[in-house]
Amino acid sequence: MRGRTTGAPHAFTSLRRPAPVLSAYTRDKDGRVPLEILVRRAALIAASATFASSTACGGNSRAADTAASAPVSSAAIQITDDADQVIRLTKPAVRVVSLIPSATETLIAIGATHQIVGRTRYDVAPEIRSVTSVGGSIDPSIEAIVNLHPDLVISWESDRGQQIRERLSAAGIPVFILRTEDTTDIFRGIANIGRLTGHDSAGRAVAQSVRATLDTIRHAVAGRPAPSVFYMVFPNPPMTAGPDTFIGQLISLAGGRSIFADDSSHWPNVSMEEIVGRDPDILVVPVGELNPNSLSRFRSLPGWRDLRAVRTGHIYAVPADLMSRPSPSIAAAAHVLEHVFHPDVDGIHSTVHRTNGARP
Amino acid sequence: MSMRTRLLWPLSARLLLLGAITVVALFAAIRMGAVSMSTRALLDALSAHGDPATVTIVRGLRLPRALEAALVGSALAVSGATFQALLRNPLAEPYVLGVSSGAAVGAVISVVTGWSLLCVWSLPVLAFAGAVLSMLLVFRIAYSAGRRLDTRVLLLAGVVVGSFLVAIIWLVLTFADTESVRSAIFWMMGSFANASWRSVAILGVCLAPSLIILFALARPLNLLAIGEPTAAYLGTSVERTKVVALGTATLLTSASVAVSGSIGFVGLVVPHAIRLIWGGDNRGLLPCAALAGAAFLVSADALARTVAGANELPIGIVTALVGVPVFVWLLRRPAAGLTE
Repeated sequence: MRGRTTGAPHAFTSLRRPAPVLSAYTRDKDGRVPLEILVRRAALIAASATFASSTACGGNSRAADTAASAPVSSAAIQITDDADQVIRLTKPAVRVVSLIPSATETLIAIGATHQIVGRTRYDVAPEIRSVTSVGGSIDPSIEAIVNLHPDLVISWESDRGQQIRERLSAAGIPVFILRTEDTTDIFRGIANIGRLTGHDSAGRAVAQSVRATLDTIRHAVAGRPAPSVFYMVFPNPPMTAGPDTFIGQLISLAGGRSIFADDSSHWPNVSMEEIVGRDPDILVVPVGELNPNSLSRFRSLPGWRDLRAVRTGHIYAVPADLMSRPSPSIAAAAHVLEHVFHPDVDGIHSTVHRTNGARP
Repeated sequence: MSMRTRLLWPLSARLLLLGAITVVALFAAIRMGAVSMSTRALLDALSAHGDPATVTIVRGLRLPRALEAALVGSALAVSGATFQALLRNPLAEPYVLGVSSGAAVGAVISVVTGWSLLCVWSLPVLAFAGAVLSMLLVFRIAYSAGRRLDTRVLLLAGVVVGSFLVAIIWLVLTFADTESVRSAIFWMMGSFANASWRSVAILGVCLAPSLIILFALARPLNLLAIGEPTAAYLGTSVERTKVVALGTATLLTSASVAVSGSIGFVGLVVPHAIRLIWGGDNRGLLPCAALAGAAFLVSADALARTVAGANELPIGIVTALVGVPVFVWLLRRPAAGLTE
């Protein structure tokens, strides 16, 4: 059972500007829940693309140059993957099938886009729209993968991932299993994917740049009172991100305090009662491309509508594609969260756009 | 009626006892939850005093949820008892005419299209529509086999239409995204997590007249249980009774399924348990089943919410895990007899 953490200080509320950022376009007449920040996907993609190029170039321009051409090294590669299996390649992989959308993003960020020969139906990056899709992450078509003659497949750490490995190994295709729970996993993944595809130095540069961005954000919010936050992974039954997931880590790094930071599981189911009892200052809802309007339903759902965050309009839509990808895009994700938690901090390259034209 | 020794309580005493149990169950249900509180705080919150968060938890979350569980429990138990009497089949339950599958098709469509995200009411409305459409389809098939409503044909039609609709559900879910599949499966497992005062009110409005109609049909149902020709000799309008009772019971089930998903076992076991204790006279069985179903589902939901911490159990798991042992114990009593 979880301990009670009611009675948390709500000092942050009073420190906020008298009128919440959003009240400028709050339409209280019909009682709509204002969407404080609505990030349009186009803006987001532009931002993350800018970000990817700036990390690749800014950090190490030589790496970026070589990344555009052929893989750098050609020596034999031997790496232990996240399921403790040793993967041996005689040369860097040039035909890669990525079953993990975040790994696909990493490949693009380190300049290995042209080495991707297969992707999943969940990938959204415009660079690889023309690449063959092999199906879903956990239910890909093995036939389609084999038919692409890959020399490397990147797959999830899961039972299903192991089954996929079993079947592809029989066909002589090496499978690298990747774990993506926390930021350590993400940095290790960037380094490993860099080595496997011959983009070691670009991988290091990207990781370095992401670290630098995260450090900048950490310093910018240091000493500021942390608003209490509920990050809604799934509405019913309510699910949030535990403190040991990359999302949980990004929340505290960006100067927020998850109301379920005491829950040790990764993706805990939580009860509506406890959310009401712990009454967060801010409700963060990752939304996909199609349903940003769905936020307004929290106004009428029992429990949710009584939360202070909903009543005061501190309910924020953040782009699900950006937030839930454990890839170099965590830097942009941290920026979004920083902006949500501390709108008055001037981010150097903020990725969040308010989209309401009616604002003064 | 058999001559077995059953507890020969007057109906008023049975109803009083079951009513008291229901009230205790309701109180326990609003007392228990993920957030613990004193009885004093609970009583304050019930009268809308004290800590606003506690008031929200008690009056906004627990109370409508407990009441919805009570209404759905009544509806399922009464409609189960009705189906068992009409179809003269002890295995009959409220979903036997494919109602739950029809409702699930509506719910899945609403989830997959994203309508349920845009409007809270699209899911229950579509689920209800699906349930009613599948019921009409089953009746249509049953009537096409003959001019009279043959309950055996009706049963078969219900089973095959149900299977067909389940196939449609999985066909749709195969092409749906992960989040929709998760939502749909969670809905199909049944839950009272979405209970609100509005759903309680709507359910209450559906339930009250349906219960009155079915209670009024108790005597004809008794006669039908003996056999259709006998019932006709004794002055029952057989066809009309069958259609009205089946229609009412199915609408009752449809309304419950629409708000809470399909919750198994209540409609099957609660009527049988009452029969085993107090006999199968529908005049006593139907009102007793209504109260017992309410008490059973309210208690089961309270357990589902609390035994595993924040990880709420699907209500169907609790109704089966708790209900089956109790039912087996009732069956094994010396006086037990499943049929009349």
